[in-house]
Amino acid sequence: MNTDDLIADLAAEPPPPRFRPAVLAGRIVAAVLLPVALFLGALGTRADLAHAWANPVVPLKTALPLMLCVLALGALLRLARPEAQARALLRGLALPLLVAAGLWIWAFATLPPAARFAELGLFSLSECLGLIVLLAVLPAAVALRVMRRGAPQRPMLSGALAGLAAGAGAATGYSLFCTQDNPLFFVTWYGVAIAVVTIAAALVGQRLLRW
Amino acid sequence: MTNASDDWAGLLRAANAGDGQAYARFLHAVTPVVRGIVRARGRGFGPDQHEDIVQEVLLALHRKRHTWREDHPLRPWLYAIVRYKVVDEFRARGSAAHLPIEDFSEILAADPGADPFAARDAARQTEALLGQLDPRSAEIVRALSLREEAPAEVGARLNMTEGALRVGLHRAMKKLAALAKGGTDEHR
Repeated sequence: MNTDDLIADLAAEPPPPRFRPAVLAGRIVAAVLLPVALFLGALGTRADLAHAWANPVVPLKTALPLMLCVLALGALLRLARPEAQARALLRGLALPLLVAAGLWIWAFATLPPAARFAELGLFSLSECLGLIVLLAVLPAAVALRVMRRGAPQRPMLSGALAGLAAGAGAATGYSLFCTQDNPLFFVTWYGVAIAVVTIAAALVGQRLLRW
Repeated sequence: MTNASDDWAGLLRAANAGDGQAYARFLHAVTPVVRGIVRARGRGFGPDQHEDIVQEVLLALHRKRHTWREDHPLRPWLYAIVRYKVVDEFRARGSAAHLPIEDFSEILAADPGADPFAARDAARQTEALLGQLDPRSAEIVRALSLREEAPAEVGARLNMTEGALRVGLHRAMKKLAALAKGGTDEHR
């Protein structure tokens, strides 16, 4: 096909719908909230939530993944622009990760050896991992889909951020249900669950987000 | 002379608002630049393949034209899309594509030149930076880099061998780069 003809064809097409990252962010947030709302609606938050939050470590269980989710979402939507520089965006994610790592080390240092991994039953573990991953499936799919509207230079990284936002958002909701307040437990297994979703979404994104 | 970049931005703005004629003009204006880049990079391919790649790039610009922020410069966006797509196409066609930034120096350099005050500001900034060097280093930079005097003359005037002059210039430039970097960080 002649390039001039191609240009004539392209110019005859209707203009694109406007690209509004805020609207796209809203869709992803809705996709995070929906399964979490259904889950908490069916099973309820933990009964002693207000009491548990008197211990300042416990609100961190919710605040850290929430912060990670918001930061990942912001970075994701900026990466939708082709000219975005990835490195500066990723630097912002370091804060919640550093706090989480610090919390883990602090808990390891202060807890007596017998109490460190006391809650580590196979059931509690698979419950935590399985439910977070399950709650993250819909938001991850929506985030990946939304990103197809964008023009990310780094498809795999964008997929990873979509998974990170979804996994962290799911963990935020799950944390209101979860009764494990030992940082060694929740930092480790929330972290693993979020990492699983992140890696899976990165692999999907690598294929899906090319353009 | 009008700045082609502003022109393109205006055309694409109109295009995204629904002006098909402006869009056609935008694509026609961009095509030779894309073609030049593809030709320079794809010597291993025939001209018909070049044109295929040019069309792929135009299609990518078309599909992603909504991702340009109208209040942002057009060229970084355009360059990012062209680079991504050219690399992608060369990869798909079985050749490693290397896109050194020099290929784009012409289009990239056009933006700052657009503002007549930018050059004046740059000169003022350079002077401010040079003022932070010791006088001898500053004189070396002024003489060799800014006034482009012959090294032999400068060496005679400053009583230095040409080798020492080169080393002095190198050090001064490194120092300037460090100062300039520190300066921009402060403004952030």
